[in-house]
Amino acid sequence: MDEFDNTMIGRGRDAIDMIVDPDTFQENAIGTYQCEPDYGPCASVGTAQLKGRPVTIIANDAQQFNERFPVVFGGVIGMEEAYKMAMAVYHSIEADKDKPIAEKRPILLIVDTPGNGPGKMEEIAGMNKATGSYQLALAEARKTGHPVIACVIGRAISGAFLCHGLQADHILALSKEYGTMIHVMPLTSISRITKMDIEKLEALSTSNPVFAAGAEFFYKLGGVEEIINKVEDMRDVIARHVDDVYATKAKGEFEKLGPWGRGLLGEERGGRVVRLKAMAKMDEEFEAVADQYLNA
Amino acid sequence: MQKWDELEKSSFLDANARQRAIGMTDKGSFTELLGPRDRFTSPHLPVLGTAVEFDDGMVTGVGRIGKHPVFVISMEGKFIGGAIGEVNGGKMVGTIRLAEKAAARIQKEHPDEYAARRPLVVISFETGGVRLHEANAGLLAHAEVMDAFQDCRHKLPIICVVGSKVGCFGGMGFVAAATDVIIMNEQGRIGLTGPEVIEQEMGKEEFDASNKALVYRTTGAKQKYIMGDCNYLVEDTIGSFYQAIADVADKPMAEIEKLRRIGSVKLVEEQMGLVKLVGDMQPKDAMDLWKYYGNEKPEELPELSTAEFLKVVKCRVRN
Repeated sequence: MDEFDNTMIGRGRDAIDMIVDPDTFQENAIGTYQCEPDYGPCASVGTAQLKGRPVTIIANDAQQFNERFPVVFGGVIGMEEAYKMAMAVYHSIEADKDKPIAEKRPILLIVDTPGNGPGKMEEIAGMNKATGSYQLALAEARKTGHPVIACVIGRAISGAFLCHGLQADHILALSKEYGTMIHVMPLTSISRITKMDIEKLEALSTSNPVFAAGAEFFYKLGGVEEIINKVEDMRDVIARHVDDVYATKAKGEFEKLGPWGRGLLGEERGGRVVRLKAMAKMDEEFEAVADQYLNA
Repeated sequence: MQKWDELEKSSFLDANARQRAIGMTDKGSFTELLGPRDRFTSPHLPVLGTAVEFDDGMVTGVGRIGKHPVFVISMEGKFIGGAIGEVNGGKMVGTIRLAEKAAARIQKEHPDEYAARRPLVVISFETGGVRLHEANAGLLAHAEVMDAFQDCRHKLPIICVVGSKVGCFGGMGFVAAATDVIIMNEQGRIGLTGPEVIEQEMGKEEFDASNKALVYRTTGAKQKYIMGDCNYLVEDTIGSFYQAIADVADKPMAEIEKLRRIGSVKLVEEQMGLVKLVGDMQPKDAMDLWKYYGNEKPEELPELSTAEFLKVVKCRVRN
């Protein structure tokens, strides 16, 4: 990491301090819910204030390891971590269930994770359920009206980014100068699995957004709403996106946000232009036969 | 194309995506949407010198079971391992959204008959997850599917069907977990991390990916059934899958909700109980849990036929 003196990789807890109002982070507390302090140690959850407003914080803690699940360390999201994160979301929804949308607390995801727990016990018990449940909880919170903002400060890799990030209303990422990594798999692995020539892949990886690694390519696909060029700006940019998302939800324009909204952005930015055409054609073909299925 | 009646009797495992789609709905009722004639191919594969398919490796369409419209997504493992890219990911999302819109229209046009006409989504998974050739677009498509699932909650069921050669892995492993109902044949496998990656992470002595029996015990249908992660374990015929789907189609949503594994605080608490058990027990093999749940001779279970297995197996009891 020498080339990135100012990298935020492995510094999830520092990021919390840099973003929220000073000394306001209450770890493990969300509404009336208290998370057990030693549960899912590689994830940190709790409540803080952001410019005077309560926010739920969900961050990776890359400095910890999980004694019970030996593949879970360095920011990996294990089963305990994913369920802990899901509980933080559900209890945020519960805490604000009687409040109007304008007062539902934002949920801030601080993202620095290399993956989901890749172990045998994880497969036996069902790691897929753990990561799936956190995503469903985030989708529910987003649709209930909570602004959900993800900020990639370090690594956002494949399934772990799907789990912790890609269900947000808006996704922000520190620029590549901070060593930020967004990708599915390193090129060497892609080359091995697809049996494609590594040199050809390396050449393509500098220009092809659907394939290349990095926040700027995800930006082109609509996968990242905004790139943050200075780490000092994180706090203000996040707060601005919280306001934007509140305003969009107040207008009822939920479809401009979250994964579907990023699909629209992907078309606008020219990175993913075929999928919407494919879906429009499907709609048209269904309409031609709809009567025999809807009124049979 | 084979006759429908013959399809029903034939092996699900050996069937291609189109045969499965036709056979999981009523005879003569399936209409393919965005089929090969439309030639919506991946715009990203040619850049890498990889051949395209006119259906991008996924059959999508609508059929019926009784009066229920059935929105079908059927993945073809023979095309790049069934992996998800921009176009087939879009087809998947588009189909789920069509089902949700159809549900709203039926609610409006046939309010008294909603239960009998309620649509369903059936997804026949055969995939390792993200298509690496267009990895970023494939990843984003997964998030869109989860988003679309949430829109269907409590309105119409989403049924996961796994019984094809590739199984259901990677990101699609958690997509499968997020459905309402899971139907598998004995050969079906669901997981997140593939066996080779577990071996790479943990070492060959902990997990030998070439040991097929071990791989199957860890992610196979019998293991999923014992854990409560597979709701229907059926014989390997397309007709058996059709029957199980038809059974779900007529169930009230409240009953279907009980078949779910995740998606609410209560269900997460239940799963946390399971994680605690596994953390305390530190199982070396799925058979340790089979024994814990009351199967005295767990080593015999993999050998049993589906019918014999269902007769004797003891499963995790859900609260």
